[in-house]
Amino acid sequence: MNKEILLQIEKVKKRYNDRVVLDIDTSTFEKGQVYAVVGPNGSGKTTLINILSLLDKPDEGKILFKGKDIWQNPKQNILNSRRKMTLVHQKPFLFQTTVFNNIAYGLKIRGIPVHQNEEKIHKALAMVGLSGFEKRNALQLSGGEAQRVVIARALAIEPEVLFLDEPTANIDLRHIDVIERIIKKINREMKTTVIFNTHDLSQAYRLADGMVSLLDGKVVPHVPENIFRGKIIHENDIQWLEITDNIRFSIIAEKKGMAYIFIDPGDIIISCVQFSSSAQNSFTGKVIRIYEQNHLIRLVVDIGVHLVCVMNKESFREMNLNIGSQACITFNASAVKCY
Amino acid sequence: MSFIIEGLQKAFTLILSLDQEIFRIVLFSLRVSSVAILFASIIGVPIGFLIGSKNFWGKPFVVILLNNALAIPTVVIGILVYSLISRVGPLGYFGLLYTPTAVIIGQFLLSLPIIIALTHSAIQGIDIKVRHTALTLGATEVQAALAVISEARYAVMSAVIAGFGRNIAEVGAAMMLGGNIKGSTRTMTTAITLETSKGEYGFGIALGIILLFISLSINILLSYFQSRKT
Repeated sequence: MNKEILLQIEKVKKRYNDRVVLDIDTSTFEKGQVYAVVGPNGSGKTTLINILSLLDKPDEGKILFKGKDIWQNPKQNILNSRRKMTLVHQKPFLFQTTVFNNIAYGLKIRGIPVHQNEEKIHKALAMVGLSGFEKRNALQLSGGEAQRVVIARALAIEPEVLFLDEPTANIDLRHIDVIERIIKKINREMKTTVIFNTHDLSQAYRLADGMVSLLDGKVVPHVPENIFRGKIIHENDIQWLEITDNIRFSIIAEKKGMAYIFIDPGDIIISCVQFSSSAQNSFTGKVIRIYEQNHLIRLVVDIGVHLVCVMNKESFREMNLNIGSQACITFNASAVKCY
Repeated sequence: MSFIIEGLQKAFTLILSLDQEIFRIVLFSLRVSSVAILFASIIGVPIGFLIGSKNFWGKPFVVILLNNALAIPTVVIGILVYSLISRVGPLGYFGLLYTPTAVIIGQFLLSLPIIIALTHSAIQGIDIKVRHTALTLGATEVQAALAVISEARYAVMSAVIAGFGRNIAEVGAAMMLGGNIKGSTRTMTTAITLETSKGEYGFGIALGIILLFISLSINILLSYFQSRKT
């Protein structure tokens, strides 16, 4: 079934002080889906969200909303299109007034009468599980409550697209689960297209139907796991990428100087004891995190840097690995992709 | 010492007997300073907002000039306006010198930089987040600007009150431009100066007490607004 394309990016570039921070050839977002924009810090996630939500103008390229090139005729298009979408910032900002007035803001500026507002405001608060908070002072809410009020404020205007910039970055563990359930509920019940940024890949897997993976402002075909930056050095006819003073990986690359590398978790062999092989990358570390994803087990092993490895459930059971277990990991120089 | 005690006794007698001359001077001062601050706010708050929220060439220099203007002695404003509105000045034709309008112009120029500078720093502190939040919720540029000013309302109010405080307490401009004419341009401060030089301490102290009372009331009002967060 062909789904309707709601948002589309074409040859978009954004520069800050002559440095290209975003360079995307093409990317599409379908109606009613949940998308995660993932990538390490400084990869351009927030810039992309700001451009998609029409807060920021790209230096080059097109942003198409429902097929219309928004920046071609901004005076006519921007306000209308912006009113069909909204962005919830990473650090929630609430106006110095009551929760009710905060949520009413988006409706008020659209000229919607107060009696119509009330029902929408109660509904939005119920959606985020904060019914009865209407008269509370917005500045006296906890971080998690504030984040939920900000989401309710966004929902009250019934947007077609809801953008969330790192929605769980500044809240405690208990509220992360609540916010994730709210995001799923919004998408399911209101059919809102949701596009959010996260540096937590497991969150992206939990919530998103699609993913945009960014590295250095560019869309990359793999998820941003096992991405490291370091200096390429030559020693004994072997190329190494030095990540820290103690950690370096053998690589095959034509590049010189500073580079990014990516190691596919599927290319890493995990074992209980070190074995001899032709692979020059062999390390011992401790398992620090285990989680299941798409019927596979993903382990994060601390070898001085954190490496994500993947294995099937059967191997995982056989190896009897737990948090804190010692694990040996091995991978070939050819498994390291260099950028 | 005795002249101070006598002065205080006379001051309280004048205040409690609701002395007409005293209260005429007080009302004139309040009227002149209020009109000046009203115009300074109408012009200063939008200028402060624009300087605080927009980036333009030479902005740091403008901010330095503004901060410098906060410390301009009142007599400098006095002589500046005097040279413009005196009979031989470019605006002498309007005959404004030694009229209440001249005092208003002087006080307007004194409080304008205060309002611009304090509004600018208030807006700069909160602008980006509020503006972005308003825009993402569908505000027009004007609605977003109003949201920013509304969020900075306590700080903007402080700016207006600080400007009013300077107006009501200044003496240099009022003396030079108003001429301290009895029943016409005599303000509390110019009256205190004159009466004290004449040895009428009681009259001067009475006006001084009222002036302090006004400034205390302004500060109480300001604290009340600042403590009211919603």
